[in-house]
Amino acid sequence: MTSDANPAGRSGAVRTMHLKENLAGLALVAAPLGLLLVLILLPTVSMVWNTFQVPVEGGTVTGIARYQAFFADSYSVANLRYTLIWTLISCVTALAISLGISLYLRFSEGRIATMIHALSLFPLFVPAIIISYALVRFLGPNGLLQLLLEQVGITGYRTPYLTPIGPFIGFVWENIPLPVLVITAGLSQVSDHAIEAARDLGAGAWRILFEILLPQVHRSLLIAFALIFLGVIGAYTVPYLLGPPAPEMMGVFMQRTLGNLQRPDEAQVQAVILMVLSSIVGGFYIATMLRGEVGRK
Amino acid sequence: MAEIRIDKVSKSYGKEKALMQGIDLTIMDGEFVVILGPSGCGKSTLLRMIAGLEAVTGGTISIAGQVVNDLEPRERGCAMVFQNYALYPHMTVAENIGYALRVARVAKAERMARVAMVAGSVGLTEFLDRKPGQLSGGQRQRVAMARAIVREPKVFLFDEPLSNLDATLRVQMRHEIRKIHNRIGATSVFVTHDQQEGMTLADRLVVMNKGTIEQVGSPEEIYERPASTYVAGFIGSPAMNFLPGEIQGGAVILENGIRLPVPGLSGLDGTMVQVGLRPERLSLTGPGRGQISARVDFVEELGSARLAHVLVEDIAISVLTGDKLAIAPGDEVGIAIAPCVVQLFDGTTGKRIETAAHAAQQVETVS
Repeated sequence: MTSDANPAGRSGAVRTMHLKENLAGLALVAAPLGLLLVLILLPTVSMVWNTFQVPVEGGTVTGIARYQAFFADSYSVANLRYTLIWTLISCVTALAISLGISLYLRFSEGRIATMIHALSLFPLFVPAIIISYALVRFLGPNGLLQLLLEQVGITGYRTPYLTPIGPFIGFVWENIPLPVLVITAGLSQVSDHAIEAARDLGAGAWRILFEILLPQVHRSLLIAFALIFLGVIGAYTVPYLLGPPAPEMMGVFMQRTLGNLQRPDEAQVQAVILMVLSSIVGGFYIATMLRGEVGRK
Repeated sequence: MAEIRIDKVSKSYGKEKALMQGIDLTIMDGEFVVILGPSGCGKSTLLRMIAGLEAVTGGTISIAGQVVNDLEPRERGCAMVFQNYALYPHMTVAENIGYALRVARVAKAERMARVAMVAGSVGLTEFLDRKPGQLSGGQRQRVAMARAIVREPKVFLFDEPLSNLDATLRVQMRHEIRKIHNRIGATSVFVTHDQQEGMTLADRLVVMNKGTIEQVGSPEEIYERPASTYVAGFIGSPAMNFLPGEIQGGAVILENGIRLPVPGLSGLDGTMVQVGLRPERLSLTGPGRGQISARVDFVEELGSARLAHVLVEDIAISVLTGDKLAIAPGDEVGIAIAPCVVQLFDGTTGKRIETAAHAAQQVETVS
C-alpha cells in the first residue's frame, strides 16, 4: 500500500519528521540556552528578588524599601541623573558624528574614503582602558594638547580631564565604529536611483537627507542609538579614569558601593535600576529588529 | 517647444578614455525617440546627461532652446522614470506621486487633486494609500510613471523602465507608455537594450555602439536599411545572417565559392563584402532549387514558425519559415534568395553598400 492511500499514516510520518527537526534544532541551542539560564537569567532573577527583600527583626519581608531609600538619597539620584544626561548627550553626539561619517562613506569612493572608513573603525580594536589613558595623556593637564596650544601662544587651557566632558569625549570616541557600520549598512540599502530620483524631482541636499535618506535608515539609527546607549549607561572604565569624583556614572557608583563601601544590597538596587533603564532601550532595540524581520518577510 | 539638441557631447571619467565622443542628435518636440544599444554602449549615460544627473564633459545639451549643461536636474523641465522605479518605500503611493509637487510647494489641495487625477489616468486610484512594498511590479511602474506625469514636464526620460517586468507585463506597459505619450504629447526619450521595445515604441530609433551613434532613423528604415553590420546584427530577431564574400562580375562570390547573383553591383568588382540576409526574408525550397544548396543542421519550433539552421558547406545560416516543411537534420534543401533581400556591407568597415537595386527599391517604396 502506498502512502497516498493512507493519508493518516502520511501525516503521522510528517509529524514525526517535524518533531525530529524541532528536537535537533533545540539540541543545537540547548548549550547556550542552558548557560544563559544558569549564568545570567537565574542570578538576575535572584538579584531582583533580593532587592525586594527588606530585613526586619527575625527575617525579611517583601517590599520596596530599598528603592525608596535609593530615591530618597540625593547623591544616588544625582548620580542617576548625571548618568542619564551624559549618556543621552554622548548617544546623540556619537550618533550625529557616525551619521556624518556614514553619509560621507556612502557617497564617496577612493583612497580617502577607504582611509576614513578604516579610521572610523579603529576605536573598535582599542580597549577602553587604552583609550582612556591616551585621552589622559592628550587632554590632561600638561598633556600634548596643552603643550601644542602653548606652542602657538594659546594659554589658559582648561583640561576636560576629571570633568563630565572627559568621559563624554571617551564615550564618543569609543562609540563611533559600531554605529558607523550599522548606519553605513542601512544607507547602502538606499539605491542611487532613489537619490537621483529625488534630485530629478527637485529635492535639494537637505530635503534628500531628511525626507529620503533618514526615513529609510531610521531603523539603523534606532539600532545604533540603542547600541551606544547600552554601551555607555553601564560603562565603568572610561568614567572611572576620566570622569569627576562626584557625581559618578552609575557603573562607577555601583563598583564603589560594592567594593569600597561593601554594601552589596545597595549595589544590587543600583544595578536593577540601571537594568530597568537598559531594558527599556533593549526592548526598543529588539522591537526594532523584529519589525525589520517582519517587514522583510 | 521642448526640442532636445545634443551637440558634440562627450563624456569621460577622470583620465580614462572618453566613454562617448562627438554625439550629435536632435530630438524634435513631441517626438518619441528610443535609444537602443547593448549594455555599456553609453545610452543610459547620455540619458542621464540630458536629465542633469551626469555632468557633460564636452559639447552642449539644449532643451527648448536653452543650454542646460549647468542647470540642476530640477531646472531642466525633465521627468525621469528609472529602471528600478526608485520609489520611496516609506511614502504612500499618493505621497510618492505628489512628492515633486510637495518639493515645489504646491498647495496641498491642488497637490491632492493633481495626484488623484494622474493616479486615475494610470489606474492607481484604489492604491493611493498603499506603500510601494504592497504593490506588484506593474503597479510600481505605474506609480513611477504617475510621479513623472504629475509634474507636467516638457520632456520624459525613461531609463529602461520595463526591464524588471515579466514579458506579459512588459508588453502591456509598453502600450500604456505609448498611449500616455500620445495623450500628453511631451518629448520622450526612452533607453532600452530590447530591440522589440525600441521598434514598437519609437518614432525614431537611435542605435548606439561603444559611445557613438551608429544610426538614427525610423524603426522601419533601420530594419530595412541598416547602416552597418552592427546595426543589422542588432536589429531583427532572429539575427541577420552574414556571409563573407567578394564582388566579382555582378555577383558576390562567397568564401566557399558559391556565386550569389545580386543586381546593381557594377563598378564594385574586387570589393570584399559581408552579405546580410535576414532569416525571415529567406525561404526553404526543395533540394537543387533556389540560389544556394544547404543541409539542415537542426530546426527550432517556434509555434507560429520554424527556425531552420542550415549549413551552406561550413557556413551556418538560419532561415525563418512559416511553412510546415517536413525537414529534419541532415536533409538537403535549397535556399531561395530574392535579389532585393540581399544587403551588402563593406567587408572592412562594416558600412552599408548601396546597390542600384536598393536605390531602385527605395524609389519604388517612396513612389
